Amino acid sequence: MAALLQLRGITKEYRGNPAVKDIDFDVVQGEVHAILGENGAGKSTLTKIMAGVVEPTAGTMTMDGKTVGFASPAEAMAHGITMVFQETSLVPTMSVAQNLYLGEEKLFNRLRGVYIAAQQFLQSLNFPVDPTRDVASLGAAQRQMVEIARSVRANARVIIFDEPTASLTPEEKGHFFSLIRRLVARGVTIIFISHALEEALQISDRITILRDGEHVVTDKTSAFDRDSIIRAMVGRTLSHEVYGEGQSRKARARGERMLSIQNLSMGSMVKNTSFSVYSGQVTSLFGLIGSGRTETAKLIAGIFKRKSRNGGEIKFAGRSVRYRTPRQAVKDGIVYVTEDRKIEGFFETMSIAENLQVNLAAAGLNRGQIVNMAELRELADHWVKALNVRALNGDARVIELSGGNQQKVVIARSLLQKPRVVIFDEPTKGVDVGAIVEIHQLIGRLADSGMSVIVISSYLPEILAISDRVLVYRQGRVVEEFSPQDATTEKIMYAAVH
Amino acid sequence: MRRLSWRLGGGNAKGVTVPPMDGALKPNRALEEAADVVRIPAPDNLVRDGDRLRFTCGPILYSMDTSAGAAAVTEVTRFDSDVSALACDGAGGYAVGLDSGDIVYWGALGGLAPIRPAVRLAPTAMTFDGHGKLYVCSGSRTHRPSGWKRDLVERNESGSVWAFDGKTGHGVCLADGLAFPYGVTLAGGGDAILVAESWKHRLLLIETATDREVREPEVVLDDLPGYPARIAAGSNGYWLSIFAPRGQLMEFVLREDEYRQRMINTIDPKFWMAPSLASGRSFLEPLQLGAIRTMGALKAWAPTRSYGLLVHLDSRYQPTGSAHSRSDGTRHGVTSCLQWEDRVLAASKGGDLVLSLPVDEFAGE
Repeated sequence: MAALLQLRGITKEYRGNPAVKDIDFDVVQGEVHAILGENGAGKSTLTKIMAGVVEPTAGTMTMDGKTVGFASPAEAMAHGITMVFQETSLVPTMSVAQNLYLGEEKLFNRLRGVYIAAQQFLQSLNFPVDPTRDVASLGAAQRQMVEIARSVRANARVIIFDEPTASLTPEEKGHFFSLIRRLVARGVTIIFISHALEEALQISDRITILRDGEHVVTDKTSAFDRDSIIRAMVGRTLSHEVYGEGQSRKARARGERMLSIQNLSMGSMVKNTSFSVYSGQVTSLFGLIGSGRTETAKLIAGIFKRKSRNGGEIKFAGRSVRYRTPRQAVKDGIVYVTEDRKIEGFFETMSIAENLQVNLAAAGLNRGQIVNMAELRELADHWVKALNVRALNGDARVIELSGGNQQKVVIARSLLQKPRVVIFDEPTKGVDVGAIVEIHQLIGRLADSGMSVIVISSYLPEILAISDRVLVYRQGRVVEEFSPQDATTEKIMYAAVH
Repeated sequence: MRRLSWRLGGGNAKGVTVPPMDGALKPNRALEEAADVVRIPAPDNLVRDGDRLRFTCGPILYSMDTSAGAAAVTEVTRFDSDVSALACDGAGGYAVGLDSGDIVYWGALGGLAPIRPAVRLAPTAMTFDGHGKLYVCSGSRTHRPSGWKRDLVERNESGSVWAFDGKTGHGVCLADGLAFPYGVTLAGGGDAILVAESWKHRLLLIETATDREVREPEVVLDDLPGYPARIAAGSNGYWLSIFAPRGQLMEFVLREDEYRQRMINTIDPKFWMAPSLASGRSFLEPLQLGAIRTMGALKAWAPTRSYGLLVHLDSRYQPTGSAHSRSDGTRHGVTSCLQWEDRVLAASKGGDLVLSLPVDEFAGE
């Protein structure tokens, strides 16, 4: 079948460093094409070139046999190529309907008409989203749905998804996959990037694997299995190494009870939940999206203020605490490593050293008002080395790092604040398999050193690989506790759903 | 002033919370599935005397040959009042605390002098130290041990811990102003005693080796999710019986002075909204006709006032494992426990039986 879109010899360099090198890539009309690779492999760069977000340094792109070049996403969209980003590009202060029809406003708009049209359109996609709600009030999964709906509305011929299912529940994933099948039946081509290999194997027709910015292989999905994909991605088999599948592990001994969460409540998200966290252990919180795990963590870390009368109680090392700001929690030794690193995790245009300086100041660990840049660089270099951040030195800007290395910077920012309790929220979300191993090892080392570690994760193999205790969240509260010996994916999922 | 205080966030304005049962206290059905030792109404005060198990039911002291099973239970003696505390000196002699407040000796006690404290005691627990000293917990200055529920809802803190000299009968108050001390055992290599302060849900370590007049108790375990009762020394630590759970509703009632006063004045103590050794036996009990809507369906539900819980503590007095009889179980109100070789015995006063569990299974790591 003739290729709809052809890329030949595509290269993109940033400051002389190639992000992708000499890549040949074809997309056939009406196929689902998965692009896989570790973080930093060049997947995002390649798809951004197709969507007109970045321009290639070298190479040619042809569509329907004609050479094309996109200077902007609008030009790509005019040719029928749209991209749904991992971090949504919606306007948070506008309603869902307004976001769907953004850019198509008439001189006079009847809001009710827009809402009705949006409602009908969302229903046709089977997306349960209220079109009158502000985007800011939606959860990650619903934002993703709106983003997808916007692309579908634009009648795109090629839709590129960057990690489309990362924030979706299993049920929502089912809806999403059926949507993809409906789009493909209409002749739309789907390209998607995912770290969930099972999804790629399940939904795609062809798979392309990139490694270190270079094309490794493109073949029919039936020619791959999980291990062969991983081997192609990283050059070695990592299944056992990453998640320790099939290996039995013993829980670390409980230390002192560092946190006692008692009848914690916040609106409809956290409902009278109680649990304890001990030093020297990794306590994992598993639950479906919207089950209230992140909100609980943010209440503990002072990011959300707890109501004094009906918000429950948090006891830190036996002392009742109520933080009004994260700074107070940080000073006590509680830090939160965000799941949304690009928005909350760092200042992307600042260097690693400058990012670290901000957290030093927040924890009150900086000496005086004048920053000693030499000391700061030394500190940054120390953390770059300690966490194996792949950057030249501490002066590297965070925006130039890959997802896994950015995550390490976010972790470093928290760890330099000398915490006693570290809360990791989805620590390996959007992180390549190599970095996953390193982050898991780091979490283990922190627990071994006597720290209390809380890990929020939606990925069961990760939960099983690193936890000393698994607490399952459902509808705003902890409903079940498992030890590593008792925990199985089936039991945990059953507790989370039923 | 109370309203102003509430508005300013002081006083009772703080939310009602209870600690979670997780980690070492993670619920299971171990007590429910434990082997029966003997079924008898309201057993209490388990002590070991050589090869025999002694325990009490109301005013009767029983003896049991554990190797012969339930058939070997024999009545030893009967007292004028219910037995509220019992200790064995290991040589065939006993100290018996009665609900009337008396402490009497029974059996061959090797020349102990009679104990006649200057103040009225309510003996709730006692233990010998092996050198002729008897440590006694007195739950309250105003109520008998059997009036524990009234003492709780009145929020009294008039309990005390005493050390009596076996030779002279002279007693020294080691700690006063405690909120119903309900369990005592030797700790710290014999230089201290571990005391369960029930209404404050905590364990205290009180130094005994010192000659100081004032001994400041050290809190070694706080914020228990229930009301602690008797403590027994075990291999690698201690066993702690918890006779009733804490619940948000009960904690709330304990804060509401006017409500409590009306409850005390008008309702039979059996039906108070307060901890209990057993529950669900009468439709008159609070909230037995309650319901909760779950997934759109109305289901019968009431907050439990009773629970069965036995906890193993390590040598640092931290919980390492536990055995439970949950809200839907019957083996509630565990008031006494005792390690017997590789098993631990527990008296479920609310469940009317003595039961036995293997130590290794529940002592935790």
